[in-house]
Amino acid sequence: MMGASLSRWTMACFAAALVCLVAAEALMVAGYGYPVAPLRAPETLFLVHLAAIGWLSLLMLGALFQFVPVLVAKPLRDPALVLPAALCVLGGLAFLLAGFLQMAGTLEAGRPLLAWGGSLLVAGFSLAIWLLGRTLWQARPLDLPARFVAVGLASLTVAMLFGLGFGLALSGAVDLPVLATLDRRAVPFHATAGLAGWLTFTAVGVTYRLLPMFMLAPEGGRATSRTAWWLGSTALALAVVVAPALAVAEAGEGALLLVTSGAGLAGGAAIALYGVDLAWLYRKRKRRSVELNIRATAGSFLALVVAAALLAVLAATGRLEEHAGALVYLVAFGWLSGLGLSQLYKIVPFLTWLECYGPVMGRRPTPRVQDLVRERRDTGWFVLYFLGVYAATAALLAGRPDLFRFAALATLVATLALVVELVLARRLANVAASARLPEGTRLPRLFIAAQRQN
Amino acid sequence: MTQPHYDLDVRPILKAGGEPFSVIMEAVAALAPGQSLRLLASFKPLPLFQVLGARGFQPSAREIGGGDWEVIFTPVAEEGAPAAEPDAPGTGPANDAEWPAPVREDDCRTLDPPEPMVRTLEAVEGLAPGQTVAALLPREPVFLFEELAARGHAWRGAPTADGAYRILIRAGGGTGAAS
Repeated sequence: MMGASLSRWTMACFAAALVCLVAAEALMVAGYGYPVAPLRAPETLFLVHLAAIGWLSLLMLGALFQFVPVLVAKPLRDPALVLPAALCVLGGLAFLLAGFLQMAGTLEAGRPLLAWGGSLLVAGFSLAIWLLGRTLWQARPLDLPARFVAVGLASLTVAMLFGLGFGLALSGAVDLPVLATLDRRAVPFHATAGLAGWLTFTAVGVTYRLLPMFMLAPEGGRATSRTAWWLGSTALALAVVVAPALAVAEAGEGALLLVTSGAGLAGGAAIALYGVDLAWLYRKRKRRSVELNIRATAGSFLALVVAAALLAVLAATGRLEEHAGALVYLVAFGWLSGLGLSQLYKIVPFLTWLECYGPVMGRRPTPRVQDLVRERRDTGWFVLYFLGVYAATAALLAGRPDLFRFAALATLVATLALVVELVLARRLANVAASARLPEGTRLPRLFIAAQRQN
Repeated sequence: MTQPHYDLDVRPILKAGGEPFSVIMEAVAALAPGQSLRLLASFKPLPLFQVLGARGFQPSAREIGGGDWEVIFTPVAEEGAPAAEPDAPGTGPANDAEWPAPVREDDCRTLDPPEPMVRTLEAVEGLAPGQTVAALLPREPVFLFEELAARGHAWRGAPTADGAYRILIRAGGGTGAAS
C-alpha cells in the first residue's frame, strides 16, 4: 500500500504534446503534406510523425508517468529517468523532422539526420519503457488495465524497432536487406504497431481505470474485458509479429492475407467487446449527470467504431491502399486525439487541484475540481472539434483537399480554444479570486508539478 | 507505516493435488503482530474466511485473472467493542496492535473524486493523536496515502470483497491542534 505522488514532468509533456498538435493541425490547414502532397511524400511523413510522436506519444508518456503508479499502487521506478526520456524523445523528433525536410529538399545538411533521429528516439522510448516496465514488473500479478499498458509498451518496442530500421536505411547509413524484402509492406506494420498497439491499446487500458473513477461505476474483472484483452493482444501479435515474419520468410500473399484477416477479425471483436464494457459502465454509473470529458470520450469512441467499419469496408472492396490516408486520419485525430483531448480536459484540472489544494484538504474550504473549468462554454469546442474531424475524413474520402483544409481549420480553432481553457485551469483563473488560494496554498507553476514535502 | 504482507502462494500445492490447509495455518502462526497474510489460491477459499475470521482476521478477496484469487487476511481490532485498546496519547509510533476502535466510519463510495479524500482528511483533522477513523472508499486511494504520509499519520487498509477499499487511519502527533 504505497502512495502515488504527482509526476513532476507530466504537465511539461502535455504542454509539448499540445504544441505539436497545434503545429500539425496548422500544417494541415496550410496544405502541407497529405492530401495536397502524396501519402508517402516526405512532407506527409513530417506531418504524420509530428502528430504521432510529438503529440500522441508524448501525451501518452506524460499520462503514463503519472498514471502507471496509480494503476499498480506502487511508486514509479527510476523517476530520475523521466526527464531524460522525454528530452531524448523530443530531440529525436527534432532530428527526425529535420531528416524529413532533408528528404524533401527543404533542408541541406550533409548528415544522416534520420539515423540520428531514429537512434535518439529509440534511446528516449527505451528509457521510458524501462522505467514503466520495471514499475509494472514489480506489481505482478497485474490487473487488467495494467495488462493493457504492458501490451502497449511491447507494441511500442516493435514500432520503435521498425522506425529505427527505416531511419537507418533511408539515411543510407546502414543497408538493411530485411527492409528491402518487406518493401512497401513495412510501413503498415510500423503504423499498426504504433497506432493500434502502442497508442490504442494503452489508451484502452487507461480508460478502463479512469472512466469508472470519474463516472463512479464499478470496476472491472469482467469476462468481456479479459476477452477483449486476449483478442486484442492476439490481433496485434498476428499483425505486427507473425505477418512481418511471414513476409520476410516470403511465405506468399495467401498466408499474409490469412494472417492479416485474422488480425482484423480479432481486433474488430476486441473493439466490440470494449464497446460492450463502456456501455455497461455507463449503465452502472452512480453519477447521474455525465460530465463533458465523458461525453467527449463517447465522441472519440464513436470515431473508433466508424474507423473500424471503414477499415472493414475498404478491405472488403479492395480500396484500402487508395483511402488509407482517410482511415489513418480518422484513427489519429478522431479516436486517439479526441480521446486525448477529452481526458486532458479532466486530468489537467484534477492534477492541478491535487497539487494546489492537497496540502489543505480537510483543513480549509476548497473549490471543487469542476470549478477549475467552464463546461458550458467548452462543450461547443468539443462539438466543433469532432465535426471538423468527420468533415475532414469525408473530404479525404471524396478526394477534396480544399474542403479538407477548411475542415482542418475547424479542428485547429477548437484545439486552440481547449488549450486556452487548460491553461486557465492550470492557473486557477476560472475560480473566483476570493476562493482561489486559501491560506497555505500556492499557485501551481504551468509546466512543473511541485512535490509534496514530507 | 504498515508492514509488508506475508505472501503465501498455495496454487502449486493445489495444482499438485495437495491440501494446503496446514501450510496456511503454519503461515498464520508465523505472522508478526498486525501483519497481514496475502494468500494466492486457484479458487475463492470461502471455508478459510470462517476459520480465520474466528481468529480475528478480516478477508478481502479479489479475482486476479485465470480463475485465481488473491485474499488478504488482515488482523483487525474488534469493531464496536465496548473496551477499546488502551491508548497512550503522545507516545509516538506505538506497537501495531494498539489501534483503538475508530471514532467514526464514513462511507465515501459514491462521492466524486477527490471528495472521498477530502471527507476522510476532514475526519482525521478532528482527531487527537492516537485516535482512529475508518472510511470506505471507492478504490485504493493512492493519492490519499501520499497526503497521510506527508501529514504524519499511520494507516492500515485492505480491499473489500466488492472492489471498494476500507481504510483505518491513526492520527499522528500534532494533528487536530489549531495551527
